[in-house]
Amino acid sequence: MTTLSNDARAALDRSHKRFERAWERFSQARPFARAGHLPPLLDASMSLLQQPGGVQRLYPHAIEFDALGVFAGSDWSEPAALRPELVSGTFAGKAPIIAVELLSELRILAIAEGLLDHPGMDATQARGFLETLLALNLARLFPRHDEADRTRPAQQTRAITLTLQFIVEHIGYASVLDAVVQEAESMLAQRPILVQTICHMIAELGRSEPESRAKPLFDALFRPSAATADDPGVARYQAHLSAMTGEEIEAEAHTFARHLSTTGLASAYHAVLIRHLRGVAPTLLPIALALSSTGRDAMLSYQELVLRLIDEAVYPETAQAVYGLHALLERGALYFPPVPRGLWRQIVHPIRKEVQIKLREVYGPAKPPRVWLLSGLIQVLGQPLGIGQGDNPTCQSARALSLWAQSDPGYLLQLLLWATRDGAIVMSFEGEAISSKHLDAALAGDLHTELDPISLILVPHLDRIYGEMWRRVADRGADGHRWINPEFHGWWVQRGFAICVDIFSGAVIDFDAFIRRFHANYHPYYNGNQPVIFPQPAGIASTTPHGEFVGWHAITIQRVGLGPSGEMRVYFNNPNNEGRQDWGGGVVTSVTGQGEIPGESSLSFDQFCSRLYLFHYDPLEQGEPDAVDAQVLAEIAHAAATSWAAGRAFN
Amino acid sequence: MSKVELTVKGKKQDFDRSKGFIALLGWSLNAIEAADRFDRRYVVVAPHWAEEFCRENEIPFIPWDFERLNERSFEIAQLLQDLGVDVCIPLYEETVEWAGAINSVLLDQPRLFGQALLFRDKSLMKRRAQLGGIRVGIFEEAHDKGDVIRFLRRVNQTLLKLEGDPNDPIHMKAFDKAGCLGHRVIRTPDDVDNVPDHEFPALLESHLDGWEFAVEAWIHNGKIRFLNISEYVTLGYSVFVPATPELEQYRDQIRGEIEKLIKTFDIDFGFIHPEYFVTKDNVMYFGEVAYRPPGFKVFELLERAYGFNAYQGMILAFDPKSTEEEIEAFFPREVVDAKGHAGCFGVYPRRRVVNELQIPKETEEHDYFEFHELQPPLEQKVTKRNAFGTHWGLVYFFGDDAHRMRDLLKAQEELDFYV
Repeated sequence: MTTLSNDARAALDRSHKRFERAWERFSQARPFARAGHLPPLLDASMSLLQQPGGVQRLYPHAIEFDALGVFAGSDWSEPAALRPELVSGTFAGKAPIIAVELLSELRILAIAEGLLDHPGMDATQARGFLETLLALNLARLFPRHDEADRTRPAQQTRAITLTLQFIVEHIGYASVLDAVVQEAESMLAQRPILVQTICHMIAELGRSEPESRAKPLFDALFRPSAATADDPGVARYQAHLSAMTGEEIEAEAHTFARHLSTTGLASAYHAVLIRHLRGVAPTLLPIALALSSTGRDAMLSYQELVLRLIDEAVYPETAQAVYGLHALLERGALYFPPVPRGLWRQIVHPIRKEVQIKLREVYGPAKPPRVWLLSGLIQVLGQPLGIGQGDNPTCQSARALSLWAQSDPGYLLQLLLWATRDGAIVMSFEGEAISSKHLDAALAGDLHTELDPISLILVPHLDRIYGEMWRRVADRGADGHRWINPEFHGWWVQRGFAICVDIFSGAVIDFDAFIRRFHANYHPYYNGNQPVIFPQPAGIASTTPHGEFVGWHAITIQRVGLGPSGEMRVYFNNPNNEGRQDWGGGVVTSVTGQGEIPGESSLSFDQFCSRLYLFHYDPLEQGEPDAVDAQVLAEIAHAAATSWAAGRAFN
Repeated sequence: MSKVELTVKGKKQDFDRSKGFIALLGWSLNAIEAADRFDRRYVVVAPHWAEEFCRENEIPFIPWDFERLNERSFEIAQLLQDLGVDVCIPLYEETVEWAGAINSVLLDQPRLFGQALLFRDKSLMKRRAQLGGIRVGIFEEAHDKGDVIRFLRRVNQTLLKLEGDPNDPIHMKAFDKAGCLGHRVIRTPDDVDNVPDHEFPALLESHLDGWEFAVEAWIHNGKIRFLNISEYVTLGYSVFVPATPELEQYRDQIRGEIEKLIKTFDIDFGFIHPEYFVTKDNVMYFGEVAYRPPGFKVFELLERAYGFNAYQGMILAFDPKSTEEEIEAFFPREVVDAKGHAGCFGVYPRRRVVNELQIPKETEEHDYFEFHELQPPLEQKVTKRNAFGTHWGLVYFFGDDAHRMRDLLKAQEELDFYV
């Protein structure tokens, strides 16, 4: 049970009171007059359901919905006629319809729990309905974010999620087990920095069905080794460790390392083990951190720094920093000369007050702010492809952080220092300095804080500067990314700029040449077999599973290469936390099994082209644009024209 | 006499035979519901399209199309009299003269018909008020655009305006429409060009600079039984009850004005809804009066604030069989018995193109916010408002402090509900 902040409780009470009044007006009205009281009731329901704890307060009324005619005259009046497959479509609709759907689900839950007898549906049927419903709507149960969701009012999404979570807690996770496990596994395959949602899923699963397919994941988190088989708690595990022989400890280290490399998850016990080894047997650290010879070498080269990082940042509360440290060492990030120096500086540098307050506000008082910040930094530098934008429309800033962590980590460390020391960062735009200090909040006005600590601190600054750059190019009569991308990200963003959409009319222009150019610069068969040197920002027209246009979305092209089945693929990073996307028309991004490095998404080169609308290239590299097959181009053009470009003028 | 089908069968009405049998003229679900929950026998007289709904819900019903009064009006009066109906209550402006005609038969008081005609014609109404010694602004009837221009010029000459000074506006209203319907503000002769010919004849009034408010008064045996003052925050946008102490301080003076009105219009029973201006020097000007429930859901607000049902109050006030004790017991004490202030705000889209309904955070999270009746937009393009237009739905508030309520309602005008 989560405890609510005072604000959240006040909001809950307010919504609850409003709902009860609406309910009173509705339920006490003469039956013939109820229809008029229904819209305010639905509105109040939606507002209550979106508050944490709200579903619980509304649920007692669910047994009365049918009798009082909440569903009278609507498609929901006969539960037996309802189809769980259709619910996801309803969830994509307008608020009042979503409200009716959610109330209907709660009514069915009341039937399943035996609280309500319904002539058209018995408890078993009700349960079956809800199980199917949950399995088909896992994405809403454990929200991962995609662009279509972000542009829908967030409150509706929240009401749906909270209601589904309430239902699953009542009927048990067992019912949706397989589907959830698969979901958790494929999320983990992308090695995200933020794993709270996944851990939450695994914990719920493991608790309800200890001996299931969820076992490996549950074990990795809660009973990873022989000495933790009974989930003894951190304090008792520490005591166990102190009593162990050298051999036993080494065995523990191996076991933990295996979990770490197979799942990407570090349990709180793992952090305890690492801290213990750092004190008594540092030579076992490479084993416990699951290091290969590369990582081992990095660790030996920078041993003092690594030990200090463990002291400063690896705690049970920040256990994922163990994976971050593993990744940092494995990718050799410490060999960028500014990185070890920057880390030393960050360790000792004081953090300004308001940054401390922010960190404490978001991550809590369990550890001092500097611990959250440093553990986040280790993860960002170790897992550049695991950075996500959270529930914020700031894909540009998230992508920039990922790009710097990959290509220019020294610069990232500098930005962080400015932000945590000065409370402002300064970037140069066409020779003029822009400071984030006096700029208004842009997209991230109301930043959703489910973010890693580095994003939490930097994104508000980055977003402001990015917004200011847009302001400065607003009247140039062409798409501003042309000038902003290289200035914002770094010199290594190529100055050649291709866009296939007229920003004023929305028309698609010269698509054929656009795609030929992309082939000539990125496709190894047409560019003289050149790899992507620095990951490059690019723009995608994101679409729904039905191929309808959602919006422009920033991604990074990581590399282009042959997939395991021999076809050319584009490997890219999607900063929206969730690489698995169904963009309609068979364009489904893959995150594992097609040669992806964890955190990468991939599509076949042609499919990628069908959603691409903007990229950068080196204008001096000509490549062979004319060699691209006309038939291939026609197919790509068709796929674009029938999805995101539908309804646009198309040349 | 042609046959009129009567759907009063089937329903077991829980009513007290010592009390009156009332007929509701016009279709209002809230009024019907109030009657259904009350202790008197009732019947709804409304157009044919309501028949099926009434049959399904066992609502006693007589179909009747309220067009202009004609020779058949006596027919419906006769029919109601045969049924044993004691009195009928108009729910809409359009049924006021019908109620007058029918009640003059039911109660055998022929003057009621003439009285109803006064309520239905804003021009006659003003003259009558003036004859009764009630202060009204300058007014005139207009039959064409020329009349309007002449009136505008004359009013401004009277105000000693010089050539080139900005005009004081004048108001143009339909004779027989409720509230803001067909209400235009005219400042220049150019404004007159925009008035379509079919809006004539109309009533012209000078503009009164002052505080406009409305009153709701329930009258029985010639006496005021409950008097409410509704405070407009901005005319056409928002109203709340009870009013602020600043307006309530005029209560005695207002009561005096209403008593004058009762005498002048010879009102013995029923419900009136007049509008007044009070100018800076505390002079009360009569605007107009209606003999029917106000628009803008003031009845609902009163129920929220005081807990009594204003429609039931109307039934009591109209019913000749109501007793003094019953009326005494029904109405609360004015102002002091209110549990708080209830207000509502009429939303107009502020943008020319809208995509969706989105309750502003400031509204949604305010303690006083209760609920709204807004619908998602059906069309993206917002038609330009002419005259005062109609709002897209109401947002309701309730809270203890009159000033907070007033400021809150005012603040809504700056928010976008449709984006």
